[in-house]
Amino acid sequence: MQKKQLKMSELKPGDKAVIIAVSAQGEVAQRLVDMGLIKGTQFKVLRKAPLGDPLEIQLRGFLLALRMKEAECVSVERKEVLNGKTK
Amino acid sequence: MEKPSKTIVVALAGNPNSGKSSLFNAIAGTHLKVGNWPGVTIEKYEGQVDYKGYKIKLVDLPGTYSINAYSPEETITRDFIAEKKADVILNVVDGTNLERNLYLSAQLLEFDAKMVIALNMYDEVEKKKIKIDFKMLQKLLGCQVVPVSAVKKMGIEAMLDQIVRTYENKITIPRDKISYSQEVEAAISEIQNLIETDIRSFKKFSSRWLAIKLLENDVFAQAYVKQSPAWVKLEKRLPEIMKALENKLEEKISQRLSVDRHAFARGAYKETVEKANEEKKTITDYIDSVLLNRILGLPVFFFIMWLIFQATFTLGKIPTGWTQDFFVFLGDKISVLLPAGVLRSVVVDGIIAGVGGVLGFMPNILILFLGLSFLESTGYMARAAFVVDRAFHKIGLHGKSFIPMVTGFGCSVPAFMACRALKNRGDRLATMMVIPFMSCGAKLPVYVLLISAFFPASMAGNILFAVYLFGILVAVLSAKLFKSTIFKGNSEPFVMELPVYRAPTLRSILMQMWLKAWMYLKRAGTIILTISLIVWVICNYPVSGQLNQQYEVKIETVKQNINLTAEIKKQEVAVFKNELASKQLEYSFAGRTGKMIEPLIKPLGFDWRLGVALTAGFAAKEVVVATMGTIYALDGADKKNESLAQRLRSDPAYNPAIALALIVFVLLYVPCLSATSVFHQEAGELKITLFYIFYSMTAAWVLSFIVYRVSKLFL
Repeated sequence: MQKKQLKMSELKPGDKAVIIAVSAQGEVAQRLVDMGLIKGTQFKVLRKAPLGDPLEIQLRGFLLALRMKEAECVSVERKEVLNGKTK
Repeated sequence: MEKPSKTIVVALAGNPNSGKSSLFNAIAGTHLKVGNWPGVTIEKYEGQVDYKGYKIKLVDLPGTYSINAYSPEETITRDFIAEKKADVILNVVDGTNLERNLYLSAQLLEFDAKMVIALNMYDEVEKKKIKIDFKMLQKLLGCQVVPVSAVKKMGIEAMLDQIVRTYENKITIPRDKISYSQEVEAAISEIQNLIETDIRSFKKFSSRWLAIKLLENDVFAQAYVKQSPAWVKLEKRLPEIMKALENKLEEKISQRLSVDRHAFARGAYKETVEKANEEKKTITDYIDSVLLNRILGLPVFFFIMWLIFQATFTLGKIPTGWTQDFFVFLGDKISVLLPAGVLRSVVVDGIIAGVGGVLGFMPNILILFLGLSFLESTGYMARAAFVVDRAFHKIGLHGKSFIPMVTGFGCSVPAFMACRALKNRGDRLATMMVIPFMSCGAKLPVYVLLISAFFPASMAGNILFAVYLFGILVAVLSAKLFKSTIFKGNSEPFVMELPVYRAPTLRSILMQMWLKAWMYLKRAGTIILTISLIVWVICNYPVSGQLNQQYEVKIETVKQNINLTAEIKKQEVAVFKNELASKQLEYSFAGRTGKMIEPLIKPLGFDWRLGVALTAGFAAKEVVVATMGTIYALDGADKKNESLAQRLRSDPAYNPAIALALIVFVLLYVPCLSATSVFHQEAGELKITLFYIFYSMTAAWVLSFIVYRVSKLFL
């Protein structure tokens, strides 16, 4: 079964996911790549800012904040946790 | 054999928050020199340390995550290392966050320069029970890796040892070069071969580095290669190679190179680091669950800011009282020592009243800077940007605008420079235009003086906070106005690391505070001293001989009057002397200038004396207080032992409404000369600078007028 692709911006705090692709262009793309947002990277959504934007995620052992607008450029696959096992 | 030079230039490179600056301080101690990078206004720290007969010269490169030359920080780092200005690169990495930090190391290794890696925060690494296989890491990276802790001053000697040994070529670890994907490697070696057809001119850089940079479309590498005979062949082949590679990769080459570097960093990390229980909640998680809480986040943010301003006023008041008393005391003592005349007047009314008036506020400024340094070094400043970004984005600014704007509370000059972090020109200019509304430290003395003169002590802290809030409000509205009119367009993306919380060392906070405060002191010693003297001159000259004669006659008449007692005579003489001083001041250049602009500021309730002070304030804001100090010192010859605040309060020409209007005017009108010139330099266009001056003057006048008229109804 094909897993549903989501945008990073659609995830909820607490969700864990894997990056499938980054569709940003130019400088934004380079910035995201430099901060380690590349295909195959696992991350966890920690929270949204009190005003609802930006988003804070945890990846590669550090914390990164990015706006919803940038998060929309990142397609991800949610890692569903069922009975403690990663499906 | 050539005798080796005894000076080793070491460049510190590393990620922001890798503890680079603390390591720098741990090595160099207080022997540091602060300057600017040539052509760019990013702070440059240099220090020096003697070690085993070597002079180790340290250059702190700006913190950066990568070297793609998108930002000035990256460009500086690249140029400095590529041009071999450093003998050894000291790559500072955060041992608790090795994977992300190794990404930059991978890029630094491409330069093929002598390099030592300082694995910083090793005390935390041990505490977290992270095990690192140093031998393996050294083999993978091909350079020495030394565990250090800048905070605990651990491993510094061992690190210096390795720097010296690396410099002397005593360490030869076989280099396992970072290898890229097969297709990329093929392209690299083809370009390398082409470059190497002209060996002589490429002695300066490694051909591999140039090849990689050419693949990344790096302007610096392109410019360099173009000067070489090898360009004849490269010019034709390079685009072909790149096109073929891009087709094979099905993505941008630079992107693939970055991905490969990440893979290398991840690989090196996985092979060498063993981490215990990764899922455990960290202290940062707990703190953030409160500070970044959806409900508490904003109130906490406001509370922290409010606290700093309260502390600035309340705590600062005590030592401020002492320093002011000291200068009054000093003035009195010198008055006794020096004979009456021009010299005494210059020293007492000019220098002491002027510079002393400014230095008197040093405690307030130290506390404010202390607070800002504390927020910076704990890691809260980035959180603040995170919390406010949405709101800032709404008004057209960027969460990152927050940091320059907060810096603006200290001084506009570094704040304008900090705007370089904003890469979008519209964002940057809009932020720069509103920074001066974030009330700078130099304006603080004016508020403190006026508030303590006209308002009860219980209200002082709140009024001060309100002044700052008012400035922020004006900034916000102006930003909205600018971004929806003249600086329309897209905003920069917000992609920012939130560093883990760290308890800063007292030493490092005090150091940062001192560096900022030192700038202020230096200004007090130079610009403000000069301006105080100029103000003294224009307040004292020209002297009207006619007035002098007139009053001499009057005073003589009183003295000759036998109907008066000695006591009354003395009083009358004092009154006349005072009147004379006033009239002479009006007659002076300052008085004339003040009178000239009085019609302009009359609607705001200001008289010509404030006109003089405000005009002098164009040069530097502290001078507003200094000038008032000088004017009143000359004006009230009989009240020498009263403080300026007392004199203002007892002067019938002033009242709380005028005080408020004056505060608003000083808050908003054009910043000092040095700030304006930096603004111009950073904005790069005269048109924008002129518009800025016009805008701030208009805003200051209109809002002061409103504040004056409204508060007159209530106060």
